[in-house]
Amino acid sequence: MSFLSGLFGSSKPEAEKEPSASADLFNSTTFRSNVNPSPSPSDASASSSSSSSSIPQPPSNASPVPAVSQPAPTALDAFSTSFDAARLHPLAGLSDNLELLQLDEDKLTEIEGAASVLPSRGWTDDLCVGTGTTYLSGLVLGGMWGAKEGLSRPLGNNPSFKLRINSILNGCTRRGSFTGNSLGVLAIFYNLANSSLDSVRGKHDAYNAMGAAALSGAIYKSSAGLRPALVGAGLMTAAAGGWSAFKTMV
Amino acid sequence: MSHGDHSRDPCPYVILNDFGGAFSMGAIGGGIWHGIKGARNSPRGERFVGSLSAIKARAPVLGGNFGVWGGLFSSFDCAVKGYRQKEDPWNAIISGFLTGGSLALRAGPRSAFGSAVGCGILLGVFEGVGVLMNRMMAQPIPQMQLPEQAPATPAVSA
Repeated sequence: MSFLSGLFGSSKPEAEKEPSASADLFNSTTFRSNVNPSPSPSDASASSSSSSSSIPQPPSNASPVPAVSQPAPTALDAFSTSFDAARLHPLAGLSDNLELLQLDEDKLTEIEGAASVLPSRGWTDDLCVGTGTTYLSGLVLGGMWGAKEGLSRPLGNNPSFKLRINSILNGCTRRGSFTGNSLGVLAIFYNLANSSLDSVRGKHDAYNAMGAAALSGAIYKSSAGLRPALVGAGLMTAAAGGWSAFKTMV
Repeated sequence: MSHGDHSRDPCPYVILNDFGGAFSMGAIGGGIWHGIKGARNSPRGERFVGSLSAIKARAPVLGGNFGVWGGLFSSFDCAVKGYRQKEDPWNAIISGFLTGGSLALRAGPRSAFGSAVGCGILLGVFEGVGVLMNRMMAQPIPQMQLPEQAPATPAVSA
């Protein structure tokens, strides 16, 4: 038991490190909210509901409160509603489970044209995400293929429900793992070739993707002979070219 | 440990990353492993062919096993995190339990439960070792943090 209590005791100092940072942020915002003291909740909700139209508000807002020792209005005051403490309250309350996609900027990939849907931290991230996506889609597609096969397989007359379920599951695991594994290996080859080409050429474009596709198709089919390797390379190149054209069109 | 860990993607996307990472690890590691094994097990003169055929036959399967395990574990981890709304070693233990159970589901409930318990214990050992390492590494930090922490806390409530 002392082991278990030690298990959970250790995570506390780490977790309490962050509220101090958010407390700093919070202090700086309360300091600024002196400009318009105690905004009514309706005002705060109105300004938060229409954030773009809230910028011209401060002049009308500031006219009743010039007595509060306000210095000469500066450009910063025009944005004072956006630093309103009432609007930052939810953020301060949220700080514990606020999850942001924070990636270290200097670690992001700096090859031009390589930015995609998800930010990537380099070739390992590309490899993992690309392979994972391909493998998972292969698994799902193959599973559907196997399910269809298992559903339509003849099982003699009047098969029981259990037998049918077993047939479907067998089909899923056979076709799904086959498709997923093949596509996954192909994706590993493709991503490795793509990242290598990126780093060699220093940029990323459609030719790069097509070259990587040709290389990966050739490697994938290399043990079957020269002709299948060339066919595989051609197919993969066509697929990559089509995908690149689709991406530029959309 | 969770909030400091911003080197990984947020939850739904990390599943893809884990799937791919586990699959690549299994496939590449399986390629090396079965390459050596296939070469050793084939007669002299056919070592390369034997190694290649062993890689082709076994490495993707090993990658698939790794990938399914890792992806399932990551999915369960995200689901458990979303349900419990906290991050502690129990997340990994629970998701290890669920992963082991669901992978052995077709072998019957008894076998599934045994596999689930085994996986949960394994993950518990991993997490325990990780936490112990963390405590040994991070020993001096709390003493420096606490004095600074004390004045900052009332400011939040004020």
